[in-house]
Amino acid sequence: MTSLEINDLSVDLNSRRVLKNLNLQIPSGSFAAILGPSGCGKTTLLRSIAGLITPSGGAIRFGKQLVSVSSLVLPPHKRNIGYVPQEGGLFPHLSVAENVSFSLARKISDQEKNQIVNEMLELVGMKGFNDRSPQELSGGQQTRIALARALAMKPAMVLLDEPFAALDQALRVDISEEVVALLKKSGTTSIMVTHDREDALVSADVIALMRGGTVVQSGTPAQVYLNPISAEVALSTGDIDVIPAIKLANSQYSTALNEVNFNLANQPAANLGQILIRPEEIAISDEVTAGAVTAKITKINYYGHDALFELKVGQSLQSIRARITGPSQYRVGDTVSITHNGPIRWISSEAHEVNL
Amino acid sequence: MKTKNLDENLHLESIEQPGSGSKLLVLLSFFALIFAAIPFFYLIKGAFSGELDLIKTVLLREKSLEIFATTIALMSCVSVVSTLLGVSLAWCLHNVNLRSNSLLAALVILPIAIPSYVYTYSWMSIIPNLQGFAAAVFILILTTTPYITLAALAALRRSDRAQLEVAQTLGLNKWRSFYFITWPQIRNTVSAGTLLVALYVLSDFGAVSLLGVDTFTRAIENLYRGSFDRGAAAILALVLVAISAILITIESNTRQRSKVISTSSKLMPSIAESNSGRSRFLASLLIGLYLIFALITPLLQLLLRFISALPSIDYGNLFRTALSTIFASLLGSIIALLLALPVGLLSSQASKIGSLTDKSLLIVHALPGIVMGLSLVAFGSELPIVYQTVALLAFSYALLFMAKAVGFVRTSFLRVPKNLMEIASTLNQSKAQSIRRVMIPLATPGLLTATLLVFLSAMKELPATLMLRPTGFETLATEMWSATAILQFNEAAPYALLLVLIAAIPAFLINRPDKSEESGVNIS
Repeated sequence: MTSLEINDLSVDLNSRRVLKNLNLQIPSGSFAAILGPSGCGKTTLLRSIAGLITPSGGAIRFGKQLVSVSSLVLPPHKRNIGYVPQEGGLFPHLSVAENVSFSLARKISDQEKNQIVNEMLELVGMKGFNDRSPQELSGGQQTRIALARALAMKPAMVLLDEPFAALDQALRVDISEEVVALLKKSGTTSIMVTHDREDALVSADVIALMRGGTVVQSGTPAQVYLNPISAEVALSTGDIDVIPAIKLANSQYSTALNEVNFNLANQPAANLGQILIRPEEIAISDEVTAGAVTAKITKINYYGHDALFELKVGQSLQSIRARITGPSQYRVGDTVSITHNGPIRWISSEAHEVNL
Repeated sequence: MKTKNLDENLHLESIEQPGSGSKLLVLLSFFALIFAAIPFFYLIKGAFSGELDLIKTVLLREKSLEIFATTIALMSCVSVVSTLLGVSLAWCLHNVNLRSNSLLAALVILPIAIPSYVYTYSWMSIIPNLQGFAAAVFILILTTTPYITLAALAALRRSDRAQLEVAQTLGLNKWRSFYFITWPQIRNTVSAGTLLVALYVLSDFGAVSLLGVDTFTRAIENLYRGSFDRGAAAILALVLVAISAILITIESNTRQRSKVISTSSKLMPSIAESNSGRSRFLASLLIGLYLIFALITPLLQLLLRFISALPSIDYGNLFRTALSTIFASLLGSIIALLLALPVGLLSSQASKIGSLTDKSLLIVHALPGIVMGLSLVAFGSELPIVYQTVALLAFSYALLFMAKAVGFVRTSFLRVPKNLMEIASTLNQSKAQSIRRVMIPLATPGLLTATLLVFLSAMKELPATLMLRPTGFETLATEMWSATAILQFNEAAPYALLLVLIAAIPAFLINRPDKSEESGVNIS
């Protein structure tokens, strides 16, 4: 169990800068998720932590131990990390027991090895599978054995590279919950790379959001969800509406949602910006009173447990979405009143330009 | 690897960059390269040992030009027809539902076990006055077609069927689909097969000698045996090597420019798509005719001759000769594997040195058996301890077929998913341990295939064996050759039949479809 600290990490691959001055801290014993779209560099970051890639600059520390500085690195086999790649990556020529005991030193007796293998298989719910070959296992079972293999060496840290990506949705939720629970129970610092925001939000103690080769925001799931630093970051953790807004005196804001005659014209540039709103923070009602902001329903996306309404607001025709749970009597074309019941997330136009 | 002490008092290492390779592998590859250079050194030394006028005289005499023209014409005719025939056979076996496609594929590939001189022997014992250029073209087509069929079939099995299906839904008929979709996917493999055929024809000695066609190999043998004029023989050998080297370079450059990549993440299962009666009839006719000429007739003839020879067979000698053949070939294939392992491993790791060594070794492909024999005779005469030993004979086999072995070894290592090596390294395994515990076990089937391929080729090798075998040491090929050369067809039959039977085993094993593609485990 160890903490991870990364400072100014840069990685070049094929003459292209993939990671750019990346900084990240993961506390000891926590389960961290690195979340980002394809091509943002998250797998490169994981491989750099594992020692499979030589960085061009920056430093990586496991606790107090420096494992990488500039282009000097501690080789992977000396880092004591457990690595669980996509689809498990089991050795096809070895049995389940041989896979699990692969990292155990030769000086350990066969009896001790068998004991560790049995303990690990029991831990991942695969007791009795010792003599099976990887070909005989399902995708979920292969992932579990890969985890047992990684844990057998009592690693300081476990790295998981989209371990559930190849599993079907139903199995994925179950396996993901099991694996995360196991890792949290073992107290091993774990870092999982994923592009699935639900995976990250549900399981992680810490989320690091990546864009363009760097970590743009990190924190607890609640912190990054509720206080995103930009619209793009907000979008990576959930649906978001970006509403043009005017900054007023006394930390008040004017938008199409709180002012019937909202108009951006003739405002000083310094007062212009956007407000970020999650769809679940918009409430709708069929009681349209005088002076209320109204909107017309243009589309309803029904998901079973909830529905996402697309609306056009009053005269401004500003688009906004509202997430409504439970049964609803509304139809496309209905006019409803809307209210915003969430925090104000103000992004000034200048900051917006920088962040996007 | 450089190490550096840091303030934290920890030892960090600069990771091995792709392209550097380990020092031991580089050293071993360098040794392989030095061994491969031995025949070239003695060949060049032999060619330039006399006066420069000799080179001019040998190259510009009318007979040499005639030999050059005959060799090129023979190579061109055989390469073109074999390629057309081989691709057609492979296409039929892959695309037409013939009910027993796997068995037919094994039978069509089986002639790879029959060397050209056995074919010539078989057909000469049916048509005693079989002689000349056309006969040589016929025999060499029968001999070399399996090389193309094997390559094309493997490429078709790997081809992206999804692309073909999309093309057909977009309105392309079968011919246009083949031309625009399938052919670009198999072109590189087929062209490598055609190169093998061209090199086979250039280096063939048995068929052209028995059929009286004056090509380079026959002329070199005549000069060597007739006058012991090794200088003139070496000059002609050098020309032959130059032609082969040019062909290899052209093929290699063409291949580099025309890489086609499959876009589907998973290849579609191989399904024979054509069930129409006309397709089946035409495919059966083509395969049937080929099998009659290339397999049934020669084997039947061998059997008949064998039965005729039964009362007079010297079983003791037959057994001894078989053992000698297996021993020398096995020794040669093991040496070839040992030389090929470091080069193939280094080359598979995207090492620049490995790739350079690998490409340099391709030139060994250009060495026909007769030239290898000539060079190693010169080498042996300077190193009497190895001259006329089985070790030198096995070494010649290893050098002759090392390039083939390197190709197989490299491909076997490349097929081991890179991520498994990385996973091993995160599981406390050093690079050497990862190679030993993961890479070599997973590449073993390919390494065995490489060994078998060299073994098969060495068993059939004739011209170098004739020159380098120790006195009194005979192989099945040399015994058969001696009897055939004096038209004692019955006496030759047991040796020829046994040679074909033993060579058929590795030929059959090599042709097995790769089972790993059917494996359900996710290893990449």
